[in-house]
Amino acid sequence: MTWVALAVNILFVLFYAPLMDGIERQVRARLQCRKGPPITQTWWDILKLLRRPPVAPEKAVRPIFNLAPLVAFAALLTAFILVPTLLPHSITFWGDLILVIYLMNSATLALVFGGFASQNPYAHIGADREVNIFLVEELALAFVIVTLAIVNGSLTIEKLFPVQLKLSVAIALIAFVVLVYIASARIPFDIPEAEPEIVEGALIEYSGSQLAFAKYAIYLKRLLLFSLLLNFVLPRNGVVRPLLFVIALPILSIIYASIEAYCGRYRVTEAIRLLKRISIVTMISWVIAIAGW
Amino acid sequence: MVDKILAEYGAVVLDRNAKRLVVQVDDKQLRPLAEKLFESGFYYANGVGVDERGLGHDFAMYHVFASEKDKLYLVVKVSTSNLKLPSITPVIPGSNWAEREAMDMLGLEFEGHPEPERLILPDDWPKGVYPLRKEFDYNERPEFVERKPESTPQRTDVVQLPLGPYHPALHEPEYFEIHVDGEVITDAKYRGFHIHRGMEKLAEGRLTLNQVPFLAERICGICGFTHSIAYCQAVADAAGLDWPERAKYIGVILLEIERLHSHLLWVGVVFHLLGFDSGFMHMWRIREKVMDIAEALTGNRKTYGLVLIGGMRRDIDESRKNWVLKTLTELREETERVSKDIFGMKELINRIKGIGVLPKEDARALGVLGPVARASGIDTDVRRDHPYLAYDKLDFKVPVYPEGDVLARLLVRYDEIIESFRLLEQALSEMPQGDVMIEDYTIPSGRVGLGATEAPRGEDVHFVITGVESKVYRWHPRAPTYNNLPSVPIMLRGNNIADAPIIIASIDPCFSCTDHVAIVRKGKVIWKGPLGEGVKQVGR
Repeated sequence: MTWVALAVNILFVLFYAPLMDGIERQVRARLQCRKGPPITQTWWDILKLLRRPPVAPEKAVRPIFNLAPLVAFAALLTAFILVPTLLPHSITFWGDLILVIYLMNSATLALVFGGFASQNPYAHIGADREVNIFLVEELALAFVIVTLAIVNGSLTIEKLFPVQLKLSVAIALIAFVVLVYIASARIPFDIPEAEPEIVEGALIEYSGSQLAFAKYAIYLKRLLLFSLLLNFVLPRNGVVRPLLFVIALPILSIIYASIEAYCGRYRVTEAIRLLKRISIVTMISWVIAIAGW
Repeated sequence: MVDKILAEYGAVVLDRNAKRLVVQVDDKQLRPLAEKLFESGFYYANGVGVDERGLGHDFAMYHVFASEKDKLYLVVKVSTSNLKLPSITPVIPGSNWAEREAMDMLGLEFEGHPEPERLILPDDWPKGVYPLRKEFDYNERPEFVERKPESTPQRTDVVQLPLGPYHPALHEPEYFEIHVDGEVITDAKYRGFHIHRGMEKLAEGRLTLNQVPFLAERICGICGFTHSIAYCQAVADAAGLDWPERAKYIGVILLEIERLHSHLLWVGVVFHLLGFDSGFMHMWRIREKVMDIAEALTGNRKTYGLVLIGGMRRDIDESRKNWVLKTLTELREETERVSKDIFGMKELINRIKGIGVLPKEDARALGVLGPVARASGIDTDVRRDHPYLAYDKLDFKVPVYPEGDVLARLLVRYDEIIESFRLLEQALSEMPQGDVMIEDYTIPSGRVGLGATEAPRGEDVHFVITGVESKVYRWHPRAPTYNNLPSVPIMLRGNNIADAPIIIASIDPCFSCTDHVAIVRKGKVIWKGPLGEGVKQVGR
């Protein structure tokens, strides 16, 4: 039964991740007085790219450059086995939360390495910025997880959710909502990809099916972050869960995409300053959790 | 004042009217005269090398100086029989490009020039072939020589980041080589003129006086009308023509429409570069209505094809006047509303505040023009200082901000958008009835004419020498980006790499307007930067 449920979960995220990007594009288009592309557009883009052969730059470090998008994609799919999404089933063991974070980060790092391996100066700058933001982001995320672990006395996702409502958890949850926004590289935090400045950053040299997998990985990462967030609030079991899950995802998309439509891009230094502040907030939540609130 | 200076250096007045003065000086007096003029408030507006052998003289260089204070354009002519002339770049840096252009195109030599290198001709152009000399036919194609790679020494202490010739943030091909240390720009170099179209040669070679306006209008895809007006003003100046009043008002209306849509487009692009695409979309939505107005009045959204030397070819459609006035009022309110929201976005404004600063002294020395100059505290506007068409009868303000940063350039252009709305409303309601064209005129040959307009990006100067048989002997358009671009490296130094595109865009560069002079074979790559060589990371 668990295996069937897991397969359903994986198929759902594979299908929904590009669709979610389509929905967000449509939301942004409406806010900008545009008609916008149909919500299936991202799917068509990916299917088109998958049919095209990839081209690698002459000086690229081929093995790393070619593998990076697949590694990112595979890492995120693996993470979805551990995180309950549509159905509340997942493989559980002690410390699986840490593994999820690891997998998510290895996806980011895979694309960073792919960027460095392409030997393109713009990719270097993009990868450099990605690492900068990633390091500070990690700190905040670590404190959020530690806070949850202390309150629930466990590092297993199954035992974590739904969380007990305490002051420390509330603070950590608010910080996590912001972190989800930042980690999904939305404007003003899309600095590593800033199209007008450094031309998609680390992804600049990717093309064809490799680009498709890299993009797919980015959409999956956004969906993974949303799923983690929803696990905080949705009921653990029951028939209502899939229903609520499917309703809640587009609502989150609309909220996050609307914020995105009304922002300009930050510089790296500004983003890091903001992330440091968030880290301090999560640190406070950790201290409160230790105090037992 | 000017007369006293000129008399002091033995200048001979060749021709004068209320707005411009043509003088000739001895080549030994040129540099001290230029220095004196610069000190007394003149900036370098244009420089034209002319092969005057067809007029019975030698080669000559015309330096055009302009002063807001004296409300005067001063054309200083120096002749040479041995192709050697003193360079005035050491005393006025703004003449750097103009002199190098004359070196490339005519083979003049400027003694004392600080960097006598090729500017316009591609590297594979053979030495000793000068396209603007009269013996060079307009459709001649010289043999290409092997391109020698640039011998710039490789820096080992910084990372070299090539920006261009193709880059999505730059909508036209040009090349900036940016030296970065971490994320900070330490130095910047510009290499341009990738899209030469040989317009001057084409005009001299095979067009008549009345065909050139159509070519001039195609200099730019955004502000083309102002070029055709500037050209016709130059010829009218040479022949002493005066347009009918109604034609002047039509000119003002279309020029202001052009400024409106150009500025709205620019503001949109700035928001896009800042990652704020909603602002971009809303600005372009407003701009679209401005294009509709242009279409309602002239029948065309862009490139109206309306101007001839004698005035306007067609009258504008008066029956739409009320609709246009109503739409303008709506647009003004909408622009003010959207801009109020956007200026309230603190993060956005903070990102462009204090970056890309151009100090007033540098701006003046390079002869920077238009909104860029006004954002650096220079109070200049051709419409007010050297009134043309009907601008002297209309009321408008010239915004000036002293900060010199990108935010100031945004504010200047925003204020100009509002002033343009006011100008349009005035011009449309005060426009007199009557003819729009004079047809009965003769153009004397060998006369010098100068036409200047305030394009959206700054002052356009067109220099014309009339020829025989209704031809133009020499035509030299100078677009504002020509003067504004040399200031970009100054703006870039010390800034963040993330801000480079927005700083480059802040002068509203128009590269194809600037590149109009050399002849390039179609499809031939003439310059290749070190793109693809990767980052030179030695010593990092």
